[in-house]
Amino acid sequence: MSALLDVLTENIDEFGGGLWVTIRLVGGAAAIAIVVGTLVAALRIAPSVWLQRLGGIYVETFRNIPLLVLLTLAYAGLRRAGVPIGTWTAGIASLGLYTAAYVAEVLRSGVFAVSKGQIEASLSLGFSYAQTLRRIVLPQAFRTVIPPLGSITIAMIKNSAIVGASIIALGDILKNARIVQSDTFQTEESFLWAAVGYLLLTAAATVAFRVLERRLAISR
Amino acid sequence: MQTTRWRGLTALLLATGILTAAGCGDDDEPAAGGATREARTFEAGTTMKKLQDEGEITIGVKFDVPPFGAKNPTSGDVEGFDVDLAKAIANALGAKPKYIEALSDNRIAFLKDGTADLILSTMTITAERDEEIDFSEPYFVAKGRILVKKSDDSIKGVDDLAGKSVCTALGSTYEDTLKKQAPKAKLRLVDSYSECLELIQNGGVDAVSTDDVILTGMIIQDDSLKLVSGDELTTEPYGAGIKQGDDEFKAFVDEVLAEYKSDGPWAAAYEKWVGQYTGEEQDPPAMTLQEALDLSK
Repeated sequence: MSALLDVLTENIDEFGGGLWVTIRLVGGAAAIAIVVGTLVAALRIAPSVWLQRLGGIYVETFRNIPLLVLLTLAYAGLRRAGVPIGTWTAGIASLGLYTAAYVAEVLRSGVFAVSKGQIEASLSLGFSYAQTLRRIVLPQAFRTVIPPLGSITIAMIKNSAIVGASIIALGDILKNARIVQSDTFQTEESFLWAAVGYLLLTAAATVAFRVLERRLAISR
Repeated sequence: MQTTRWRGLTALLLATGILTAAGCGDDDEPAAGGATREARTFEAGTTMKKLQDEGEITIGVKFDVPPFGAKNPTSGDVEGFDVDLAKAIANALGAKPKYIEALSDNRIAFLKDGTADLILSTMTITAERDEEIDFSEPYFVAKGRILVKKSDDSIKGVDDLAGKSVCTALGSTYEDTLKKQAPKAKLRLVDSYSECLELIQNGGVDAVSTDDVILTGMIIQDDSLKLVSGDELTTEPYGAGIKQGDDEFKAFVDEVLAEYKSDGPWAAAYEKWVGQYTGEEQDPPAMTLQEALDLSK
């Protein structure tokens, strides 16, 4: 047991540094995922077939490429093409754009969960299309999508481990745990602490989404 | 409709089977360097006897480090200096060699948990590793060097690495060496040396540091790269990795190795995988395991 603790205390810089890198990575990617995801969802429910298709192409592209492939293309591919992209940019953008595809699909399903009758009623009462969206559809849609957005966030935190394992090789939780493992040969201990690191972040996300869900709940 | 679907599925399964079979290659080719020998007899209870009875020995080698262990993209076979030695050891056992990919990062775990019976993957003998596994006598001695682009004149030695980004493999001895000799360098620790090659080619890092023979393998693939001349960073004696405490198996590997070094197969393998590219000649290492261990302290 003390051997387990020793691995953590003797390598606290590596583990702490890795945790901080993962937090920044996930934070940046979450911002991109929310902004881009909302924009793409807007395209997918837009009243124009061409805009809908554009949104569809985005979703199908980013949802159907494995993240590891996306990361390699975004970093090594772009650099080969003469774009001097950095490791952080490539890592955050890939994880963010990949997650945005899932966010867009969840938001779209939330909007579709609001029955058409309500929209027709709102329009016939004299609300404009924008007003209907803002005052009738989105408040209800937002509540519906909180739980699935929570799942996506947790998936994103775990997916961030692929950024460190890829050619981008940022020193995140998993990467640094593997460095500790190669220094100390304490395989199980190092990976166990990596698991704890990810668990801290996913637990925090779970709590945050629970609170959000409770705040926005309507008494039924 | 139902039958059509089943037929389609069967065809798919068949195609997969054929592809898999084709990808398996053929391991029956004779060992390079004329190392084929009569299989010996072993006492019951030894690892050698067990492997001989099973008819197969699992050996962890590199898959992406020419000229030591690399998967030939055309034939699908793994080949290189380490693989030739692996074949000689398997032949002496009378077992078929089965190669699995051993990365710098996972190979010691492979020996400990029994995934591999033997590791021959450009592994430097160190006192630290010797506490986890056992080593054979050194079978090759490499030198630590730095690889840069030919157009790069700013890096002339290890001191010039300060502030530069340098790639090496996670879990390799260079992780430590670079932290000590170039503490201001930005390390990029990747899983395999093929990623280091990609990174120096696409400008993601300024330099790669590892064993000279591995770097030479990169220059063979891309002649816009060069080795930084000057003193070597380290001396890296390679040893075969054996499960900790298996003294009989270690004695057996050392015995095969001694014959391999003295009888000519070593020289043939060296010429085939290294000498013809570097134009340099080298004798089999005379360094002993103890000297190798002392060196790393």
